[in-house]
This record gives sequence, structure tokens and C-alpha cells, in this order.
Amino acid sequence: MDFSYPQEVEQFRKELRAWLAANLTDDVVAAGRQRGRDPDAFETLRVWDATLSDAGWAAVSWPQQYGGRGATVLEQLAYAEETTDARAPVPLNVIGMNNIAPAIMQYGTDAQKRELLPRMVRADDIWCQGMSEPEAGSDLASLRTRAVLDGDDYVVNGQKIWTSLGHRADWCQLYVRSDPDAPKHKGISCLIVDMTLPGIEVRPLVTLNGDADFAEVFLNDVRVPADALLGPLNGGWQVATTTLSHERAGAARLYAQLEVQLRDLVADLADSKVDGRPVLEDSATLRRLGEVAVRIKYLEVLCQRSISATLHGGDALGSASLAKSVWAEVGQELAALAFDVLGPLGGHRRWSDRRLTSRSLTIAGGTTQINKSVTATRVLGLPRR
Amino acid sequence: MNLELTDEQVALRDTVRRYLTEKASVTTHVRPMLDDPMGTTSEVWAGLAALGATGVLVPQEYGGSGMTMVEAGVVAEELGAALHPGPWLSSAVAAVRALTRLVTGEDAASLLTGIAEGSTVATVGPLTGPRPTADGDVLRGEISALPDAAAAGVVLVLADYGSSTGLFAIDATSAGVSVTEQTHVDPTRKLFNVTFDDVRAQRLASPSADDIGGLVDDVLIAYAADALGAATAVMNLAVDYAKVRRQFDQPIGSFQAVQHLCVDMYETVELARSGVLQAMWAADAAPPAERHLAAVRAKAFAGQLATVADTAIQVFGGIGYTWEHDAHLYLKRLLGWSAFLGGSDKYLQELGRQLAMAVSS
Repeated sequence: MDFSYPQEVEQFRKELRAWLAANLTDDVVAAGRQRGRDPDAFETLRVWDATLSDAGWAAVSWPQQYGGRGATVLEQLAYAEETTDARAPVPLNVIGMNNIAPAIMQYGTDAQKRELLPRMVRADDIWCQGMSEPEAGSDLASLRTRAVLDGDDYVVNGQKIWTSLGHRADWCQLYVRSDPDAPKHKGISCLIVDMTLPGIEVRPLVTLNGDADFAEVFLNDVRVPADALLGPLNGGWQVATTTLSHERAGAARLYAQLEVQLRDLVADLADSKVDGRPVLEDSATLRRLGEVAVRIKYLEVLCQRSISATLHGGDALGSASLAKSVWAEVGQELAALAFDVLGPLGGHRRWSDRRLTSRSLTIAGGTTQINKSVTATRVLGLPRR
Repeated sequence: MNLELTDEQVALRDTVRRYLTEKASVTTHVRPMLDDPMGTTSEVWAGLAALGATGVLVPQEYGGSGMTMVEAGVVAEELGAALHPGPWLSSAVAAVRALTRLVTGEDAASLLTGIAEGSTVATVGPLTGPRPTADGDVLRGEISALPDAAAAGVVLVLADYGSSTGLFAIDATSAGVSVTEQTHVDPTRKLFNVTFDDVRAQRLASPSADDIGGLVDDVLIAYAADALGAATAVMNLAVDYAKVRRQFDQPIGSFQAVQHLCVDMYETVELARSGVLQAMWAADAAPPAERHLAAVRAKAFAGQLATVADTAIQVFGGIGYTWEHDAHLYLKRLLGWSAFLGGSDKYLQELGRQLAMAVSS
């Protein structure tokens, strides 16, 4: 048993750290926090993504032919730790890079791979993913947006919601119902849609803290060329579950992000007093910090166990979905602790905002309840109803 | 980065597991030992020694297998899963690590040899709190909540010795030693109040506070592995029960409310397993500060770990609330760990304090 990283990974880490120290500015870090409400911040982030890509430090897990550097799993882990630790913003196309690009690599034409992927990494194009619908949330496979072949086009009608960056996107990976008579998982197809096509209307969706990171997308008789189909006709469900076979370190961002938040919180608490006494001498506060700190560290090891299992043929039973649930719960605990101790004005309202936005952690990307039900049946082997 | 057990470690685990299933199950061994202050029979103890379980941490030159805390943790987890009531943690971990960490030279040789063989059982205390006092080679004072004192032929005592601390060995049958059992929450672990009334002792070492800290960390880590085994076992029992217990014409494990309770247990167990693995490794391979944090985290998580048995009892329903069912024994084992050397709150606060210091520096 060995928790240490090999020398070559430490070398990779050192190079990346040095590059970030030289290139990541405070403006960029600040822009990462403001992107939902400040158009200038959005442009700053586009420039940053291009800078990162041109220097070879974006999409490191991708094969070199698509603009990545074919990083090993442990290098990916170090990458997630270092970029998060340096407070580098999450790439604008993070969903595209993690969830859409693997499907393009597997199912796309050579032209699609050549033209779309490099522009995605540089954020020359912004991508969104049209999945959720008002009537298809957790039950995603019941989506109803229809695509009907008419000559050389699919005619698409329907509505998407919770589309990240839908209002800024140039491209959408759109999931549509192409065979209404098939069982619900088997009648779905995936289209790559140009967002400037006539009939697409996008409205920003303002979330509970006033930010607009999401959109609603309305599709009204949109004519999408038939060659926009990605993957087999009616094979959209398998396209949606395509992942990079060697992309394994995504979960590292989860714990690294919480570790940064915890450090930021303690730094803010260090300047705070309650009833004239330093907060960091208050035993109840120290206890809650301890609770959060243990769980973050254990989440880190949980993610490392999952990676070790894939590297060395061990048992990774359900650790990814477990990590997601733990991350969400601890993120909420941390936000609640910050708000309880610092109050609504603490840390320039940042923690108050986080207290609100942390509600999304147990909803986005699959609710904790769905996650638990999946773990119960698939990992613990409990019977389905 | 390789967190998998080696083939040898898996073989060790399987050997211990098989032995406990065959020779020291909850029904045939643990329950009969509940009211026995020894906590073990000479047959079962000799069997464990024959497997090499008592000599895991003893250096090879003294008849042990000279392995690390990773292997000790593997054994501890199995003993915890079986609710083993014998003095293994006291003798094979606490005493051995006291002797190997704190004592230099050959002074510990015969004790280590005896422990590895199983012919000597030893215990160590006090790990925290006030200590007895030594005047030359004469010891006076008391130790409260000392584990396994009835089974131990040798008590290793940390005592105030002038302005420093001494580690002393005492023959438990010496004049002036009196041992009284203290009943507490966990009947699978035996605790005692031991008093020393001018007892002859052999001084083995004058350990530094850092050395003693290392010993306490080792003990916490091994106990945490034991508790992980107990939590895993009671979770498995509850999940298996949920698959077969039928109400409303279906297995209760098909109800989401029950499924989510099971996943809550699984989440807590796997978090604890993560912490224990890292701590087992850190005990011998990491710098002292990292080892200490790992040990404190494991102890700080003990209260949370005990909720696994609480939840298991909820899944069992009424049957889990009976004396006849084993669930309460697991709950008690986990509560005993939660209370051991002070409740979780103290350790959670220490973690918070360490965090505050790390960020401010």
C-alpha cells in the first residue's frame, strides 16, 4: 500500500504549478466567480481558456491528436488538484470537454473531430448540452423533444431546460425523441445543432441567487441537417453514456475544490469575532470545522481508492457515485457552517451566496436520492420494486 | 499510488477470517465470554498465536513476522468483524509498539518473544491522563479504564519518573497490584481499574513525548481498523436481512426508505475505510505529523461510525432491539470505540484547531 505519487507525476505537477504561478492572474480568478452575472468576466474566461489550450495545459486527458496531452490517470489527478488549488476557473466548456467530446471522438466524422474539438478546448465555440426537459428531470429517458425526418433534415420541436450556458452557446448536443413507439431508452437520438438555426429561442434561466448560468431552450420547427446525427439513429442513450476510457480523475476536482473552500473559510474566520471573542477559539466552531475536515480528507481518499482500483485491478464498487453524494453533502455543511458563523455579510457576502447556491449540489447532475437508489440496487444488490 | 492489498495481505486476512469463523464465532465464543474478565480461552488464544496473529508486529529476530501497521490493521479489521473479545489489541499492538517504539537494545527481547508466541499477554497504560509515579524502581498510583488487565501477565506502565516519563514493566501477579473490572458500554472489551501500591517495576525506557505520541497514534489506528470491521459486519447483516425480510408482500429492501438507510450505512463505512487505509499506511510510512492527523481523524470519526450500528438496528426493526440478536453487540463495540480515550468531540475540536493553525501559518 502506497499513497505517494510517482516521481514523474510530481515532475508534471511541478511544471504545471510553475506555469499557473506565472500565468494565472487575479483578474482571471475573479472572473471565474463572476461569470454568471458579468459579461466582461465571460470574455476574460474565454481568453484564459485559449491561453491554457495554446500552452498545452487544457484537456490534458485527451489524446494528443485532439489537442490534449494524453496525460496518465495520476497526472490527471495532479492536474485537477493543482488547477483547483490555484483557483483556476473551471473551463467554460467543461461539460463539452467531459461529456460531449468523448462522444464526438467515438462517433463523430473526421471533419467533426478536426473542426469542433480544438475550437471547443479554446472556447472559440461555446457548447451546451440539451438534456433535461420540464417533464424529464431525474427521469431523463422520458424526454419528449421530437425529431422527425423530412427530406434531408430533422424537424425538431420541443423544450429544454437547465441547459448550462444555453444562452451563450454556439453549439448544442441535443437529445431528441426520434422513435416515439420504441421503449423510452431506445427511441432517443443525439444531434449536433448549430444554435443560430431559425426556430431556436433561448431565455436565460435566473437561479435563486440571481445568477444566469442556465437557460431554457425552445425549439420550434427547427430544421437540423440530417448529417448532424451523432452516433446511431435511436442510439442516443448509449451516446449519452460515452466517456473517455482513460478519463478517471474527474472526481479529484470534488475534493480539491472543498479543500480550497475550507482553507478560504478558515482564513475568513481568522479575522472574525463573535461577542468579542475570536471565532477560532470557539469550541463549537472548531468542532464543526473538524467534522467537515475529516469528511473532505476521507472523500479525497475515496477518490484515490477509485483511481487505484482502476490502475491496479481492484474493486471500485460505486465509489464515483458515493463520492458525488459525499461531496454534495459536505459542500452544504461547509456553506451552512460559514453562514452560521459569519452571518449574511461575512466574507463580502460570498458565504451567504454559497449558502444559497449549495442547494444545487444535491440536485444537479443527478439528485442524491436518485444516486442512493442506484447505489442501493447496483452496488448493494437490494431488490428493485 | 497503489491502495490495494497485496496477495500476502489478502491471504493473511482470509486466514484470520476463516479461523475466527470456525473457532471463535459470536455464538460459540463471543457470547460465552461476555461475562468473563479474561475475554479469551487459552485454546482460542493459542490458535491465534499459531496463525501468527500475535506476532504480526514483532520483529523477526524475536519470533514475529516483522510486518507493518497495514498488516496489523488487516488483522484488526477481522477481529472487529468477529467482535473478538480477547486481548489482541492490547498485547499484539499496544504492547508490541510500546516495546518497539520506545525501548532500545535487548531489554524488550524476552517480552516480544513471549508476545509473539502467545505465552505472554501484555497491556499498556495509561495512554492519556494522569500517570502513576515511580520512585526508583517502585511504582505507586492507579490506572483507570486499562484494557485487558485480567488477561495480562505483564503490565507496561507509563509513569512519572522524576521530571521525565518512564516505561516500566510489571509482573501482574506482584504484591501490591490490584485489578478490578470496570463494567462499561461494551462487554466484548474488558476494562479495569488497576492500582499499584509500592510495586517493584523494571524500567525499560525513558520515552519522549513524541515517542509516546507515536504509540498512542498506533493504538488509535488499530482500534479504528477493529471498529471498521465491526461496522462493515453489522452493515452486511442488515443489508442481507433487507433482501429477505418480507412485509407488504415484498422484501423490505425494495422500499426506497430502507434502501436509503442502507446506502447511508455504506457511505459511512466506505468513508471510514478510506480513513483507516490511509492511517494504516501513515503509521509506518508517513512523517509523524501526517500520521498523527490520520489517527486523530480516525478517532474523530468514531461517533459517526457508530451510527452505522444505529441505522442497522433501524433496518432490522424489532428483532434488532432484542438481546438475542447480535446487532446490539456491534453497537456496543462501536460505542466503546467512540468513548475510548475520550469522546469524538475532543478530537473534532483538535482537528479544527490544527486547521486554524495550518491556515494562519
